[in-house]
Amino acid sequence: MRVPRGFRDILPTEARELHAIERQLMAAFASYGYVPLDPPMVEFAESTATVDERRMLRFLDRDGRLLALRPDITTAVARVVAQRYATTEHALRLSYFNAVFREEPSMRGSEREYDQAGIELIGAGGLRADAEVIALLASSLAACGLAQADLDVGHVGYLAGFLAELAPAARERATDLARRGDLVAALELFPAARREALERGLRTRIPAGGSVEREAQRSGSAGADPAEREAQGPGSAAGWRSAFEALRSGAPAASAAALDELARLAPLLGAAGVPAVRFDLGFIPALPYYSGVVFQVTAPGLGFAVAAGGRYDGLLARFGADRPATGFGIAVPHLHQALIDAGWRAPSDTALVVLLPRTGARGASSAKDDAATLACAAALRARGIGVAIDEVADAAGQPVVRATAIDSTRVEHEGAVLTLEAFAARLGGAGNP
Amino acid sequence: MSLRIALAQGTLLDDNLAALRAAGLDVGPVERRDRRLVIPAGDVTYLLGRPSDIPTYVAHGAADVGITGKDVLMEQEADVLELVDLRYGTCRFVVAAPADRMDRALDEYKHLGSIEVATKYPKVAAEHFERKGIQVELIKLGGSVEVAPQVGLSDWIVDLVATGRTLKENGLAVVEEFAVCTARLIANRVSYARERERIGALAAKLEEWASTR
Repeated sequence: MRVPRGFRDILPTEARELHAIERQLMAAFASYGYVPLDPPMVEFAESTATVDERRMLRFLDRDGRLLALRPDITTAVARVVAQRYATTEHALRLSYFNAVFREEPSMRGSEREYDQAGIELIGAGGLRADAEVIALLASSLAACGLAQADLDVGHVGYLAGFLAELAPAARERATDLARRGDLVAALELFPAARREALERGLRTRIPAGGSVEREAQRSGSAGADPAEREAQGPGSAAGWRSAFEALRSGAPAASAAALDELARLAPLLGAAGVPAVRFDLGFIPALPYYSGVVFQVTAPGLGFAVAAGGRYDGLLARFGADRPATGFGIAVPHLHQALIDAGWRAPSDTALVVLLPRTGARGASSAKDDAATLACAAALRARGIGVAIDEVADAAGQPVVRATAIDSTRVEHEGAVLTLEAFAARLGGAGNP
Repeated sequence: MSLRIALAQGTLLDDNLAALRAAGLDVGPVERRDRRLVIPAGDVTYLLGRPSDIPTYVAHGAADVGITGKDVLMEQEADVLELVDLRYGTCRFVVAAPADRMDRALDEYKHLGSIEVATKYPKVAAEHFERKGIQVELIKLGGSVEVAPQVGLSDWIVDLVATGRTLKENGLAVVEEFAVCTARLIANRVSYARERERIGALAAKLEEWASTR
């Protein structure tokens, strides 16, 4: 008995950890007003336009229609918005935690089914919405306990400004090469002057506050008054603009405009409580539909991004609902791995009580003992304590406390007979030792 | 954290080490050529692997950067960033046919509608002929594809050649040259985001070195 390649059984310890992650993420999403969406597992293959058809798990149904296991949730969100919320004026905030399915070449060590968690903010354009979504990503990962992660923010408009100046055929080719990661061949398609500026830009990463701090020190030593320093200092739009100044030379106007957007976004991120971001113009998402501010979260020692997202105005128009949109997706297996690498374990509020029936001389419990055990378990559970009767094969990593049932009011624990109240008090601290 | 650099063992290794030395890295421990395949050297760690495995190490983040041929990257379609053309290890993808019957395959193509092509690079070959609109039957071989046309296994071959001498000695002539391949500095996407200063500086130095040769 085997499972198909790329699919697997998620056993209790891991499943309990994934459920803990799900609860923490969904609670964080809810705290920003995001409401859950549960789309179907199967879509028409032609409507899942956001994923390469070779990467979809497709099959025919009895009607002869080509169906696909959902390769992402964005497609479903787009369809739901176009069908159900076509006339709404206000912003729609949707969250999800679902399995998605991707076809992977064999022997690459890749899963074909994995959980994706995320949110989509539909109908809100502008940098305030971008800042909200980035802040939510940072706070939801922090809520899960991911401390050692880095957030990089980029803007697809920077590269797009350079691409727009190319002839159509070269533009299409350069766009495709850049998304696939072949920067060598992509850069060769640009005229020399632009190529140099673009190459410099793609290699640039502006650390949190880095160049701006230098800028602020300079203005400070020049004796600028505090108000002026406030307007130009670290975290201000003017300060960030100066950090991007070096990149503006040799860049097309549209690319400079993208840099200005990032400079205006920076103080908003600070105000929203995002701890530290780096601006990375070399972050080029492989997916084609992004249109503005983009971002990704990486963790040490992990070769794949934990989360990624960005603005995708224009995608929903393809489904018949032309609305601005931004959002992110968290690759739950990568988040889980980053957490485990950092020593994280699923929190246990209380220990699991393994309640043993009293047994007679022949090792079997009498009907009276069984009744006492069931009654005792019910009484413990009524106090909010998890109880499994008799030894368990798998406690899914929860701490286990053993006790023997005496009757509906007493247990024997570590050689002492305790009332349920005394036993419960002893358990109090056992959940998180 | 130590920057992990994946290098191909074999003919390219000397060139790779020369390039990295020029970029200011300590390659001494690798030059010692003991049997170790994972070699720490100061703030970098070298990984030695088969040329065709380098993109796999890098794509999975087992190495942060690597050096491998464009030919390997074309055949593998690994999800990595190509940062610098190092301009050495030059070789070309060619279509070759028996020199004494260059026209025969094309004549047969008119009558039989298909040409048999032996190659070690089925993906590169398939894409090339698809672009040209020529229907071919690909026969995948592990190496020494020059044998195939001589014994009637295939009409043509698609192969990677450096000097063309092996082709000539096997009575084959180039029908068409369709890609020039050189060594490339590649990087894992996430490593490039996380270690931008170090990888960016390495890329800039290697590029400067490559452009002056």
